[in-house]
Amino acid sequence: MGQTRLRLLGLVAVALMLAAACGGTSSNTSTKQFKIGLVTDIGGLNDKSFNHLADVGLLKAVTDFNVKGDVKESKTGDDYIPNLTNFASTGYDLVIGVGFLMQEAVGTVSGQFPNVHFAIIDGSGTDAAGNDLKHANVASLFFREQDAGAMVGVISGMLEKQGKLKNNKGVISAVGGVSIPPVNHYIAGYKWAATMEDPGIKVLVGYSNDFTDPAKCKGVAQQQIQGNSDVVFQVAGGCGLGALQAAGQAGVKSIGVDADQKDADPSVIASALKKVDVATYTAIKSVVNGQFAAGALTFDIQNDGAGYQVDNFTLPADILAEVTKIHDEIKAGTLTPPADIPA
Amino acid sequence: MTGLSDILHLLYTANLWQAALAAAVLLLLPALGGVISERSGVVNIAMEGMMLTGAFFGVVADLAWHNPWLATGVAILAGGLMALVHAVVSIRFHADQIVSGIAINIFAAGITVFLVNRIYGIQDVGHATQSELLPNFNVPGLDQLPFLGQVLFQQNVVVYAALILLVLVHIVLFRTRLGLRIRAVGEHPQAADTAGINVYLIRYGAVVTSGFLSGLAGAFLAIGVSNTFVPNMTDGRGYIALAAMIFGKWTPFGAFVACLIFGLGQAIYDNNSIIHVSPYLLSMLPYILTLVVLAGLVGRSSPPAADGIPYVPGSE
Repeated sequence: MGQTRLRLLGLVAVALMLAAACGGTSSNTSTKQFKIGLVTDIGGLNDKSFNHLADVGLLKAVTDFNVKGDVKESKTGDDYIPNLTNFASTGYDLVIGVGFLMQEAVGTVSGQFPNVHFAIIDGSGTDAAGNDLKHANVASLFFREQDAGAMVGVISGMLEKQGKLKNNKGVISAVGGVSIPPVNHYIAGYKWAATMEDPGIKVLVGYSNDFTDPAKCKGVAQQQIQGNSDVVFQVAGGCGLGALQAAGQAGVKSIGVDADQKDADPSVIASALKKVDVATYTAIKSVVNGQFAAGALTFDIQNDGAGYQVDNFTLPADILAEVTKIHDEIKAGTLTPPADIPA
Repeated sequence: MTGLSDILHLLYTANLWQAALAAAVLLLLPALGGVISERSGVVNIAMEGMMLTGAFFGVVADLAWHNPWLATGVAILAGGLMALVHAVVSIRFHADQIVSGIAINIFAAGITVFLVNRIYGIQDVGHATQSELLPNFNVPGLDQLPFLGQVLFQQNVVVYAALILLVLVHIVLFRTRLGLRIRAVGEHPQAADTAGINVYLIRYGAVVTSGFLSGLAGAFLAIGVSNTFVPNMTDGRGYIALAAMIFGKWTPFGAFVACLIFGLGQAIYDNNSIIHVSPYLLSMLPYILTLVVLAGLVGRSSPPAADGIPYVPGSE
């Protein structure tokens, strides 16, 4: 009795799921309200960084296009597939995965739901070995983080060269989360530009092996400051807040990442921006307009998908002039920051 | 081999040992909690969740009142409340203590994320940076000692508190009547009951104390070491503390040695911008050390006889 009822319930649930999965393909009438699902990675919405920005883009699209936007936060890597599947199986038109860490999950789920659109920030839908599966329903939103990294690298390199910072031994540093492409792109641009401004500069590069624990990044940053670093560039999401704090406590400068992090610590003089909100918004817009295109889409300084912001600090006129000049050159395509960290 | 000489060179710097001790204390507090709880016969794998809860409520209280001492009190209470849940479920209702512990860890991870969004909205954790922090304190005179001064006497107040607690827990467990009772309850509750010891009371006390200590560790993490709450910021420290407790054969000083090894590993890892070794290899260091020490030096360690077994009066 109880068992039959359970079995019945299961059947109904499966039928509903199937119906919902097919619902994604229904024709785009003008009255249809699009449903957009956003799945964060383990950093969570409060990372004051790219998960947060993805949500900002979603909220903007909700206002502008009257779409229905929902968010699921992933607490561990094991949540990615269930969260993505949950949206894909319940009639969402576009499911957005935030972050490189979700590549394989997006690859798996997009294969199971070929009629649902997927977008992934910082990656593509891959198999377990990291090969792009090139599914026709997946848009890969990439960033040239090195563009943004180069802008803050110019600022840091020039400040250090002018000798007005605390230790003044020609050393600056970066704290990366994990050594993965999106993190290393930032650091590559940073080191490249700082070295361009001051060929004698030493750029320390360390990793916390973590994206959520501020104590870990603080430890790495403190050791870099002990090694005379005057500017600490954090590229480690929520973990990196500890690096900013370490800089503040030691009286040196710091640089935020992804979002404008001027509120995170008074020591933040600038932030390298990766406009995940622009990318998310663009992806949603393409679905709403029926112009969704699978494959890679790159956001950089040229299309205003990457940039920088000066915080809690006034740039001296000569540095401002140089920063503006480099920005224009990258925008014009005459200067191209490298994707790999220079030796 | 430059990497190895880099590490050897580091070992001579007071700076490294100072960082190692601070990192060790983050593990020591929950490990002490684990020792007390398990000595009384209740398996506690929920230190992680209690610590996370403590960290969260510590930040909330600090933001509300701008008083780190009050906030630490709140964090300790929050950890204790979580522990009370574990105690009621596993002592009063004789539930499986591992399952209860896992439930608490998962619950803590969920409720803190939920509340952080509810209370501060999505963008607003930035305010956490304005919170008042638990201060560092240099012991006058002693902090000028060469080497040891920086390592032992230029630390956060919680580090001193933890070292005092370490000695205190050792004395209470092994030199007082209360300690004897706790250990008796953990080894043979039936006999202890016959001798007139209130088994339930001792176990409740021990479990809640482990929550207090874990909550204090959470406060140290969130408003001492760092100045913000990030979801899952405890990052498995509760579990490592559990390993340290077993490593230390359920004794406070044994656990402390284990915590120091982990702390040293973390401090060495923090220098990966200077050491010429892959950061991945470096991050394995404390765990490889643990395996070597466990297999080679510590040998077999067995828990208290009644650890993990719910006490039902009259059963044998």
